[in-house]
Amino acid sequence: MSNPKILVFSTNNISDPGIDLAGASHMDYPESVKIITVPCSSGISPKWILNAIKGGFDGVFVAADGTDCPYLTDCTDRTAKIVEKSQELLTTNNLDPRRIKMAAICSVCAESFASHIKKFYKALSELNN
Amino acid sequence: MSDYKKFDALVVGGGIAGMESSILLGDMGFKVLLVEKESSIGGKMILLSKVFPTLDCSSCISTPKMAATAAHNNITVLNYSEVEEIKKKEDSFTAKILKKASFVDPAKCTGCGQCELACTVPLLDQFNCDLIPRRAAYIAFPQAVPKKAVIEKFGTSPCTFVCPVGIKAHGLVSLSRSGKFEEAYLLYLEDSPMVGTLSRICSAPCEKRCTRNQLEGSIPIRNIKRYIADKHFESFPTPQKKEPKNILDKKIAIVGSGPSGLSAAYYLAKKGYKVTIFESSDKLGGKLQLIPEYLLPKNLLDRDIEEITSYQNIEVKLNTTVSSLGKLKEDGFEAVLLSTGTCHDKGEYPDVLKQKNVIDAISFLQNKESYEALSSKNVVVFGGNNIAMHCARVALRHKANVSIHFEKDRIDMSASKKEIDDAVNEGAKLVLNSQLDKLENADFIIYSIDPKPDLSLLKGSELESSSLKVNEFQQTQIPWIFACGDVTSGHSNILKAISTSKKAAFYVDLFLNNIDLHSEKFDDRLPAVKPNEIKERYNSSFPKHMQFLPHLRADKLSLEEIEQTISEEEIKKYATGCLDCGGCSECHQCVNICPANAIDFSIRPVNYEVEVDTVIVSTGFKLFDASKKEIFGFGRFPNVIDAMQMDRILAPTRPYNAVIRPSDGKVPSNIAMILCVGSRDKKVNNNICSRVCCMYSLKQAQLIMGALPVADLTIYYIDIRAFGKGYEEFYHQAKEMGIRFVKGKVARIEEDEESNLNLFYEDIEEDGQVKIANHDMVILSVGLLSNTSAFEPFKDLKLDSDEHMFVKEVDENIEPAKTSIDGIFVAGTSTAIKDIPDSVLHAGAAAAQAAGYISKKRRGL
Repeated sequence: MSNPKILVFSTNNISDPGIDLAGASHMDYPESVKIITVPCSSGISPKWILNAIKGGFDGVFVAADGTDCPYLTDCTDRTAKIVEKSQELLTTNNLDPRRIKMAAICSVCAESFASHIKKFYKALSELNN
Repeated sequence: MSDYKKFDALVVGGGIAGMESSILLGDMGFKVLLVEKESSIGGKMILLSKVFPTLDCSSCISTPKMAATAAHNNITVLNYSEVEEIKKKEDSFTAKILKKASFVDPAKCTGCGQCELACTVPLLDQFNCDLIPRRAAYIAFPQAVPKKAVIEKFGTSPCTFVCPVGIKAHGLVSLSRSGKFEEAYLLYLEDSPMVGTLSRICSAPCEKRCTRNQLEGSIPIRNIKRYIADKHFESFPTPQKKEPKNILDKKIAIVGSGPSGLSAAYYLAKKGYKVTIFESSDKLGGKLQLIPEYLLPKNLLDRDIEEITSYQNIEVKLNTTVSSLGKLKEDGFEAVLLSTGTCHDKGEYPDVLKQKNVIDAISFLQNKESYEALSSKNVVVFGGNNIAMHCARVALRHKANVSIHFEKDRIDMSASKKEIDDAVNEGAKLVLNSQLDKLENADFIIYSIDPKPDLSLLKGSELESSSLKVNEFQQTQIPWIFACGDVTSGHSNILKAISTSKKAAFYVDLFLNNIDLHSEKFDDRLPAVKPNEIKERYNSSFPKHMQFLPHLRADKLSLEEIEQTISEEEIKKYATGCLDCGGCSECHQCVNICPANAIDFSIRPVNYEVEVDTVIVSTGFKLFDASKKEIFGFGRFPNVIDAMQMDRILAPTRPYNAVIRPSDGKVPSNIAMILCVGSRDKKVNNNICSRVCCMYSLKQAQLIMGALPVADLTIYYIDIRAFGKGYEEFYHQAKEMGIRFVKGKVARIEEDEESNLNLFYEDIEEDGQVKIANHDMVILSVGLLSNTSAFEPFKDLKLDSDEHMFVKEVDENIEPAKTSIDGIFVAGTSTAIKDIPDSVLHAGAAAAQAAGYISKKRRGL
């Protein structure tokens, strides 16, 4: 498989504008990326991630708010726990836990998003081979 | 929002200070209403590139604050709204707030931005300091909170407003310049049938009200419509069968098939009624059939009529004279619409006319067989209406010698100026103050008086004794009979015919649904935007455009159509001259594309009245308008920009996605910054220091050096004031980066032929001589001024100002944020110029003062 499909969870107020900006600035990143927007990354369920991978996505990228989260001060810790649980869930399902990645993307972090996705894409391509 | 009537605190202005005060008060448990005039909170800080001296990303640190404000349980954000009045009420305040109409339901809008892409109206982007355009439908910027689209509409465009039929002229023009002609045809059909006919014979009041009409000449709106119609008819020679969404089981009879009857049938059929048109002759169209071919080709009229009769729920009965209205009721028609138009009553003719060679104008236009006999004959047309002009021009085309006689002066003639001029130019002799009984040498006399309403149908009905009257709903004395067109008002024109039929159809619909006719308004358009408002928006300098010249057939006396359709290329060229007077053109592209069905043009501004215990004014500052300092050429020279524009060019959400100069997109290599523009300057009435300009200029200089490492950068300054924590170090850092500092005032700027700029300046530190330096871009570090809109809501209450029109802190040394009114506080730059950290600090003080005030009052102290 040469063109890994990536599902991104982004947040309404923080990472979404950043990702939006990557597109508006015509930055280059793989076109196989699909984005679902949620209010806060701590609300993502590990089951969704498992479902996505089982349903045909090669990787899931959580574009978290980091310390910018407007709702929770411990958003990063909570999201990290969810990612940890998801990795365990993948392992018990005989899937590679490296298929999940998390990074903080701020509201103008367009370049950083593009570079994260490119790296993740490359890593997934190698996993698939 | 409408559920809330009472809040603890009202914060006016959602910039960084307003947000900070709101969050702090909210955290303390107070209910806060934050009112912001733009569609997104964030103020000016969200638009900046970086903050000094830390060079943190400004939007990265203000977005979380914006999101936190909007997500706070105790804060209600009312965006796109303005506080109109604040009054004292016992020991609290009442505030009147106007929520502007955004025409987008925020509950449905998902912020997907598809409306922006579909919108056909460009307006200057205030969030990019007018460097680039945005659309009338827009989301402020990617980080907007709330991220909802709004549609900017200043009012109805004059062209659209003046159309009695309500055709969206501005929408048609804006669609045409985008090449969306088929969409324009469909938009036309939303408001009116008879697209082809109107594009030929409409008197085009829209063109008379066009703002360009006062300048080079109107946008050729009728000719644009003409192209729209022709292009559609070319692609679709016959209309497709149409069926409304739901066919109703109610029958309506329409008597007469002139323009009003046909249009009424169209409007009612669209609503789903079963419509039957009764026509006594063998053709639909009524008086439209009399309009000569050189003005309105018959195939076009037929195509327009087919468009209407293509509705499956319209039945046409030709050669059918309705004998009794009562009979129609018995036959199951629940409403009847009279549109019998006008006719000649031969009994009223003067005796002189009872001769053989006299023919009435309408019969003349009907009997085309008689035209052969006209050649070389002396034809007298007696009358001053448009019908008379048609007769004269038809006779001229059959080689007759034509004179038009009228019994009064030219000013009393009812024909349009253009028709009279055309007839005279084509060779008709105009004889004014003529008398019918003194006509000589006339082989034929065509007599054209205004025809009278055709009321023959009413004989024997209960309406007979009284003449036909309609009320404001086009309803006659008998409730189930409505009337429209010339039968109600006498001989008039097609616009009146269609507009009254539209109105009649609207009220027939209400009547048949048993809805009180008073309960709904027929014409719900916004008021027309005022000419001086349009001028203000363009700063009185309208971009130049070319004048329209119609394409006319060379051999004027041909029977073929005189006026010709102009090419697509020309249409687009003329349409781009539109000044978009009303903002949104109502082209409805956003309505068609919106996946959430969120756009609703029936939304109107809403007035709220809320009760609050305390108010925090945080309306921020205004930038000095650099065009007022004429010596620097801002506004005249494209490469002279102000500092806020430069900040946008450097910001992550920057307009050009690169640091380039506006005139030609070249990367600048030799940039100048001029400090103290509009501050410390008595000539512009602002002798105070703006405090932040030195530092933001140093910040921009460092960012420019980062973006363009090989560029030369010179800062022309009087003093560098680096007073805050880390500021002095920041100044030295800039110097070490190789930025050149020149102490001296710039006297003036001149532009050379390559749009580069020559700065004439006095070099104080070197030798005191006047020198000239050439730069390819100049940035004016403009000062900050007070925003006097802070005072506008205070009408009875007096909010004191200082001598520079900032809100006065009555005891600023020991009571920060307190104003002259007990209970009203001020936060941030509304009271004095501050940098961002100071504004945030001051907003904290205002929140603490407000909280103290409320608690104290509640404890009865």
